[in-house]
Amino acid sequence: MKFVKSSAFHSCILALAIIISGCSSSSGSSASPDRTPTEEKAGDLTYALATNPSTLDPGRSGWAVESRVYNQIFEGLLTRLPDGSIAPQLATDWDISDDGKTYTFHLRDDVTFHDGTPFDAEAVQYSFDRILDPATQAGNALSALHPYESAEVIDAHTIKLHLATPSASFLTNLTQTQLSIVSPTAAEEHGSQFGQNPVGTGPFEFVSWQENSEIQLKRYDDYNWGSAQSENKGPAFLDTLTFKIITEEATRVGSLQSSQVLAAETIPPQNIEAFESDPSLKLLSQNTEGLPYTLFINSEHEPWGELEARQALQYGIDVQQIVDTLYFGTYDRAWSSITPGLLGYDESLEHSFEPDKEKAEQLLEDIGWKKGTDGIRERDGERLTLNYVDSTPNREKRNDIAVIVQQQLKEIGIDVIIELTKDISTTIHENGDYDLYGNSQVNGDPNALRQFYRTPDEGARKTLSRLNDPKLDELLEQGTIELDEEKRIAIYKEIQQYIHQQAIIIPIYVFPYTVGTQESVQGITFDYLGYPFFNDTYVR
Amino acid sequence: MARIIAERLVTSLFVIFGSTILVFTTLYVLPGDPVDSIIDPSVATPEMVENLRKELGIDQPYHVRLIHYFSDLFRGDFGQSLVNSTPVLPQIIEQFPKTLALTIVSSCISIIVGITLGVLSAVHRNKTIDVLARMIGLFGISMPTFWTGILLILIFSVALGWLPSLGSDGWQTLILPSFTLGIIGAGFIIRMVRNSMLEVISENFITTLRAKGLTERAIMYRHALKNALIPALTMMGMMIGDMLAGTVIIETVFSRQGIGRLIADAIMASDLPVVQGVIFFTAILYILINLIVDLSYSAIDPRVRRSILHD
Repeated sequence: MKFVKSSAFHSCILALAIIISGCSSSSGSSASPDRTPTEEKAGDLTYALATNPSTLDPGRSGWAVESRVYNQIFEGLLTRLPDGSIAPQLATDWDISDDGKTYTFHLRDDVTFHDGTPFDAEAVQYSFDRILDPATQAGNALSALHPYESAEVIDAHTIKLHLATPSASFLTNLTQTQLSIVSPTAAEEHGSQFGQNPVGTGPFEFVSWQENSEIQLKRYDDYNWGSAQSENKGPAFLDTLTFKIITEEATRVGSLQSSQVLAAETIPPQNIEAFESDPSLKLLSQNTEGLPYTLFINSEHEPWGELEARQALQYGIDVQQIVDTLYFGTYDRAWSSITPGLLGYDESLEHSFEPDKEKAEQLLEDIGWKKGTDGIRERDGERLTLNYVDSTPNREKRNDIAVIVQQQLKEIGIDVIIELTKDISTTIHENGDYDLYGNSQVNGDPNALRQFYRTPDEGARKTLSRLNDPKLDELLEQGTIELDEEKRIAIYKEIQQYIHQQAIIIPIYVFPYTVGTQESVQGITFDYLGYPFFNDTYVR
Repeated sequence: MARIIAERLVTSLFVIFGSTILVFTTLYVLPGDPVDSIIDPSVATPEMVENLRKELGIDQPYHVRLIHYFSDLFRGDFGQSLVNSTPVLPQIIEQFPKTLALTIVSSCISIIVGITLGVLSAVHRNKTIDVLARMIGLFGISMPTFWTGILLILIFSVALGWLPSLGSDGWQTLILPSFTLGIIGAGFIIRMVRNSMLEVISENFITTLRAKGLTERAIMYRHALKNALIPALTMMGMMIGDMLAGTVIIETVFSRQGIGRLIADAIMASDLPVVQGVIFFTAILYILINLIVDLSYSAIDPRVRRSILHD
């Protein structure tokens, strides 16, 4: 090309070099943490969210991002401390009937909702009955409330909750954000728009919501009933708390680095190291609890109903390699069907087995799958293919996991076909058109396993592994109703061992909720499930 | 002129009607269940899913939903978002000014930068400025929008701290996104203007003008440029449509409000009423822009008017 000779080319290179050198020299000093610290704790916090919430109605909410926001506006009867224990919140104490089916709660008498409505037993009854009402379109809240049947107001500050069956997880479920208590006045007034006009009893009250841009909250000045979650029992320190919605990863990180926001969630693994070495920034991280990201093997599809075939996957997929390659050591590898923080987690599963290609190949040979000319195994003229379904966006690099699994399984003679679809209802739940499908769930109780592994009732939707295993059913049933904690732990350990031995799943990673903040931001805490909490937060 | 407008309006109605049916059908056929984005499918029981479908009216067959949709449209009702139950039209009306501002500023940048550099590069052919202009043009055309956007954020927000990288309040927030979007359009205009200028310059009438002793400056800017701008004008009309499409990416990268972001989110959530509403709205807009561009040619160039009339 002719223009290479031109002096303009050289000046461009020079200009580019100047820009680049400018970038690198100023990047370390762009934020100024030298604001004088004052005695007064206060400030305005801007917090960047990675996804756009669709509702702030706890009863209707289906996703974690929403809980992160409305958790500041609402409170539940109970709360869960970081160590997993259950603490009072809007309820002061409670009794459980001998048959385990009636819960009596004594409620605080000094609480008012942000709109001035007093908090009382009727508000509790209203909130729970509202979840049962189909018009509310409740989803996750409905399953968290199970097996609640009805409430009985004893007096203004005492309420009895009646359950259809005993439930060992009902108390922990009451700590879940979806079962927060809503203001009956506001819920009646706004109807289906309550999610756009939320009113609760939390330390922050709702101010405004600009779709796709920001949600603004301000301190609720009358708040003085504190939370076991926070040291500060009075009103929050922050004057305002603004959630900015910044879906693009690079923009989110850039906005934090350039101080346009003071905190940002879900810092991508590739940025974590840079964060840790930058003195003007801090990185907070908390593993979420529940079910880790897990690949479920469809046992109804040939040949995955056979134990050997499933074990071949267990030995053929090198999970450690996946986690190391994709997350640079910033995510913990999962070893079990539940996360380490849950009741009954079986530590003995950790490092208890290693990937072994030869063993995997031997297992497949044993059940008659022989390698064909192209290296893919065949049995009775049928090729060994595996349909790996993932829902479209590459959330937490889940699409990349599929690609690595494809490479790894090819080595043992399995042809992996990756299918990306957003229509999970049809592909997975209705048609069962998959061999491997990954999922995770934020949950505070090992009873979450029930919904993923227990044979569903007649006519109900099948589980992801499409299991029908009476032994597992029985164990899960025992775990649900066993009220003695020691016995419950033993049951869940047995369940995890069994799931592992039967090679029902391939656990992959435990998701850490990461938050990057400017150095000036103090006191962001996390609850048991990894949701942030801002009652102790201030900006220096 | 009145006849041209009337004819165009009738055709436009057909286009809007057709595109609405097309979009409705496409969204109906495509996989993706809005229920998946409202409740976690792994938690919900089939009964819950069924109830929700009924509640949202998406359990109805295709033709029933289509008829409902059209009868609602005639009453000016764009429906409600399936995800947050808010009416669609107010959402579009709220978001549109932000997108409009972005499109207008980006178009201005494209046109000013594009014409200036295009002319300079033709006039100073093979000189430094020509090489530079062509490089900028090439950059604009070949770089993916999101990449340019992130690059600008890294330089001007993170490293230099001069400009905000997010939000849609205030004129400062417009600068980076409109440059990102504007540079693409500028790239096309630079090439277009440069080529047509060079073409015009080699025509006989320029030689005549030179022979008449006009200054080179007068020839270039008074006579050649005027002729070279007509093809560029067509380009700009088309470009405004492209810019509307480009806002989908730009608004996401720069976390701006706008209908681009609205539709991107709605598509991810399979929120059909919102997707349909935005497309219906943009189709009308697109047609209006094209109408204006067509009419403005015929105003500028009498030959075009005659050819439309004699079609």
